[in-house]
Amino acid sequence: MRGFLLNRLSQSLILLLIVSVIGFVVLNLLPGGPLAQFGLDPGMTQDDLDRLKEQLGLNRPLWMQYLDWAWRLLQGDWGNSFRDGAPVLSVIGRHVFATLLLMGTSTAIAIAIGTWIGIRGATHRYSLFDHLATVGAMVALSIPTFWFGLVGIYIFSLKLGWVPAGNMYTIGDGSVLNYLHHLILPSLVLSLVHVAIWSRYMRTSTLDAISQDFVKTARAKGLSERRVIMKHVVGNALLPMITLAGVQLPSILTGALVTETVFTWPGMGRLFLDSLGYSDYPVVMGLLMFSAILVILGNLIADIAVAIVDPRIRLG
Amino acid sequence: MTERTNSKSNYSRRHALRLMAIGGAAGLIAPNLLGKPAFAQNPPASPTGRVVVGFSQEPTVFNPLMPHTECDDAVHFSVFDALVRMDPKGVLQPNLVVEVPSQDNGGISEDGLLWRIRLRDDVRWHDGQPFTAEDVKFTLELITNPKFRAWRTAGHSLVRDIKVVSPTELTWRMEEAFAPYLSFLAETFMVPKHILEKEADPNAAAFNQAPVGTGAFKWAQRIAGDHIELVANTDYAGEGPYLERLVFKYIPDMTVLYTQFKSGDIDLVDQAFITADNYAEASTLPDRVVMLERGASVESIYLNLEKPQFKDPAVRQALYAAIDRKAILEGLYYGVHNPTETFMPQNSYYYNPNLPAQEFNIERARQILDEAGWVPGADGIRVKDGVRLSFANSTTSGNHLREQTQQFLQQTFAEIGVEMTISNLPAAVMWGDFWLKSQFESAISGVTNVIAGDPDVTNRLHTKAIVAKGGKGSNTGQYSNPEVDALLDKGTRTFDREERRAIYLRVQEIVRQDLPFLPLFAYANVFGRKEGLAGFEANSNTRVASWHAAGWHWKD
Amino acid sequence: MTALVANTGPSRWWRSRTVRRFTSHHLALLGVAMIMLLTLACVFGPHLLPYDSLYIDLRARFSPPLTGDHYLGTDPLGRDLAARLLMAGRISLAVAFFAMLLSTLIGTLVGVIAGYRGGWIGAALMRTVDGFLSFPSIFLLLALAAALKPSPAMVTVIIAVTSWMEVARIVEAEVRSLREREFVLAGRMLGLSGAHIMFREILPNAMGPIIVAATLTVAHAILLEAYISFLGYGIQPPLASWGNMLEGAQQYLASAPWLAIIPGAAITIAVTSFNFIGDGLRDALDVRDDRV
Repeated sequence: MRGFLLNRLSQSLILLLIVSVIGFVVLNLLPGGPLAQFGLDPGMTQDDLDRLKEQLGLNRPLWMQYLDWAWRLLQGDWGNSFRDGAPVLSVIGRHVFATLLLMGTSTAIAIAIGTWIGIRGATHRYSLFDHLATVGAMVALSIPTFWFGLVGIYIFSLKLGWVPAGNMYTIGDGSVLNYLHHLILPSLVLSLVHVAIWSRYMRTSTLDAISQDFVKTARAKGLSERRVIMKHVVGNALLPMITLAGVQLPSILTGALVTETVFTWPGMGRLFLDSLGYSDYPVVMGLLMFSAILVILGNLIADIAVAIVDPRIRLG
Repeated sequence: MTERTNSKSNYSRRHALRLMAIGGAAGLIAPNLLGKPAFAQNPPASPTGRVVVGFSQEPTVFNPLMPHTECDDAVHFSVFDALVRMDPKGVLQPNLVVEVPSQDNGGISEDGLLWRIRLRDDVRWHDGQPFTAEDVKFTLELITNPKFRAWRTAGHSLVRDIKVVSPTELTWRMEEAFAPYLSFLAETFMVPKHILEKEADPNAAAFNQAPVGTGAFKWAQRIAGDHIELVANTDYAGEGPYLERLVFKYIPDMTVLYTQFKSGDIDLVDQAFITADNYAEASTLPDRVVMLERGASVESIYLNLEKPQFKDPAVRQALYAAIDRKAILEGLYYGVHNPTETFMPQNSYYYNPNLPAQEFNIERARQILDEAGWVPGADGIRVKDGVRLSFANSTTSGNHLREQTQQFLQQTFAEIGVEMTISNLPAAVMWGDFWLKSQFESAISGVTNVIAGDPDVTNRLHTKAIVAKGGKGSNTGQYSNPEVDALLDKGTRTFDREERRAIYLRVQEIVRQDLPFLPLFAYANVFGRKEGLAGFEANSNTRVASWHAAGWHWKD
Repeated sequence: MTALVANTGPSRWWRSRTVRRFTSHHLALLGVAMIMLLTLACVFGPHLLPYDSLYIDLRARFSPPLTGDHYLGTDPLGRDLAARLLMAGRISLAVAFFAMLLSTLIGTLVGVIAGYRGGWIGAALMRTVDGFLSFPSIFLLLALAAALKPSPAMVTVIIAVTSWMEVARIVEAEVRSLREREFVLAGRMLGLSGAHIMFREILPNAMGPIIVAATLTVAHAILLEAYISFLGYGIQPPLASWGNMLEGAQQYLASAPWLAIIPGAAITIAVTSFNFIGDGLRDALDVRDDRV
């Protein structure tokens, strides 16, 4: 186990290195840059822009800027945002809650509905329900999330007036109820894809569990089918799903990006888009590293979970 | 509260009534000479209530001397004071100074080089420390400190030998006479020496996230990505504040911003205001006041005059004649903005209303090009001396109305044998070197040409402001006319308002004739506020609606 | 299954059984029919409609569907939405198709080399794949689109550059498992060159998973084009793509909902069809279910 972790750690570090280099290069490929937002300011002269460029260290060669950034990062300094001068970690920190709230809710919905669909599909294999679920999942994966969001806003917000069209809460009303009201539509829209994925995996996983010996034994003992499913199958079918949850972890950032844009949700996806728009390099790089770490963590959790669930697999 | 017969509010009420009696509706926008809102009747005796102002961009820079954009101004105007204030009429009013320095009162020497500033003696910082001439000296020196990431340094870089004569008086010398500096001071907010001088690195000072000023409102808190809250400064030296709390709420979507105004969650819509397509509906809302106010920005097609297609004045005239401005303004922009022939804001004292009006005439456009020798080629696109009359047009991608304008222009230009392609870029790319170093062929841009109401446009139109040719400025269209250069040079050295007016009227005449850019329209901003919010005034010499929240109050 | 495939040899493996299985997959057939219909409509449709997709008529702006000859209504510039939808389909489908070709090519190349060579070359290649996969793909897409001029060809390249990794992984795993098979060892003993073995002997046997992955990549590419164009970084006006038709639509959601609903429906139909086809192919080619 220790050898496995060490090996994983060194691989992860190389991965982070690759990600940071690619990210830094691509980001700096963009012409323009963080000072472009002052391009239309009538009072900023070229002198001012040149001076700021030098003060921000943006006129140094790219490799030097990268090494400087990486060196500071190793010392725990993620840099400061070009936009508001605040430390990158605190900028990201401020947006984490909104994204976690949205992703957490939609994942909870997805797990609840997806598990149910998956189990029912597996226990009623090749039934009408199973077929509909299969087709439904494929269609769900084909719908552009942002478009689904737009249609949702049109129907439930503009036509029916049931839910707000965007934002996380109404100003001056920080009540839980108000948050929930704003949360309904975006989390449902976002959960669509996850329900599809989750139900598919759950179906396969349940089918695997049903064919196991202990289930046959349980049936032979004369337990009711319902009890067999609830007690023996579901538990065993859910374990491998931890893997899926691990693999899904990184989608926290990307998954919510478009949904956050459509619903003007103040989370990390929007922060990413805004920062990219302003060429706020430190924040964009910070978010990139953040998501890369999530990918690595997710994979690690997935691998360890598999090892725990299935004693035949040895980590090493 | 009405029992308290405060001389201030009495004056203001009487004054407002008198103004309205004299000028009818015009009285409503006439400024009070003390910089007070004209119709601030019955403000409460002590600050009461809260106003929520909506922004579509988030204020993030709170040190007013550091690089920032429009929305940040709202915080600066409320938390800090500048030496002078530009009123809606474009006239400078004293703010931290006792009187606005001028050549008449001896504050500025005849040659414009020696300046003497006399300060109020009753101003205190939010932490109770007195505001003195030392703070002014510190502020001006900080701006030109090479270690400090300062915002604009134009004008400030000419200041030499700042001497503190007494706590309420200081003098300095200018390297050369520079009249616009007086207006620049209206956007130069004073920062506290006693707090910032202790900081090793002023760029990373704690002050930058929790500013201390002398303004009508004190910093309370910021919920990043959401809102900023200010509270009344009850010891404010000037008039007001009448509100207990001022909240700047960030709503990153114009449609939602408007919806929240409609629903009453927002009391006032600030940058970037109510969108044109919602103007008609907004005007009919009950209990809301929606005003269409002329802004300072002018939307134009900028032509890169160094490109061979645009060197011929006939091409520029023909293109101008081929723009159906009426269709664009009424069809695409809902009739909100106004046609204009110049770069100068229409509210400005220096605006030239007597320029020849553009006329949409396809036949005329074709004729101009025919006469100039541009002959249609095999593909229908005109050619002259091997130059095809084809060019790309760029602007910020994702700006839907501009993209619609581009596509509309594309169609009419094609009718006169001109090919315009569209090549839009994200903002951070578009307005970087691509724009500043004149790498574009043509661009659509809404530009504010003047700073704090001063008519100087050296930065935009002077030959020495062409960066692509080694200059310093933002004459990105590379316009060069010696007569204009001479006039602009003279304008910056002239302090007399009338003399300057004559100069800039002439500049506008020449520029209208040369057509270095093709004006599409002058922006009008749709301000919306709740009816009960009194004391509000629009000011096109500032970039935000919240330029004087000190005077706002709720009607009882 | 792979043993069976290997034994039947590279030339006949996809015949009979595969085709029979595919044709009995109703959803896959529906997908094929929809795609053919869409393609035909996009190719011939614009010639049958009375309006040009670029013709601006401000007087007709925001006409709802079924106004006169505007069967699907008009956009904010009064252009015919039906004509634009079909012209957009040409662009979106072409972009997706060529992005699939390109990304499959890159992915296959990387996968085959990494899987066959193994060792440090393989490790280096696969770590690069991991590196690319650790990016939020939308970041690479947006950053590249911002840096390069987003013409349809460029958008195709950008999408391909960000979506080849999946194919590379599948192919690498497949090739690695085939590497030690008898027919490969035999080839090596016969003294065939590495390239010959890689591309003539092993690759044909890995075709099944590649075809499935390629079909799904088309679906994915249509969605990616829509995402970047929706965010304003993709295909530029006046050229229409399904994605950029949606770009300004949110603004007019209340007054002109058809602007949002119609192009989105077209995207959904196209993507669903390709997913159906991919699913059918997976069943027919008996490819392990490692994607949903």
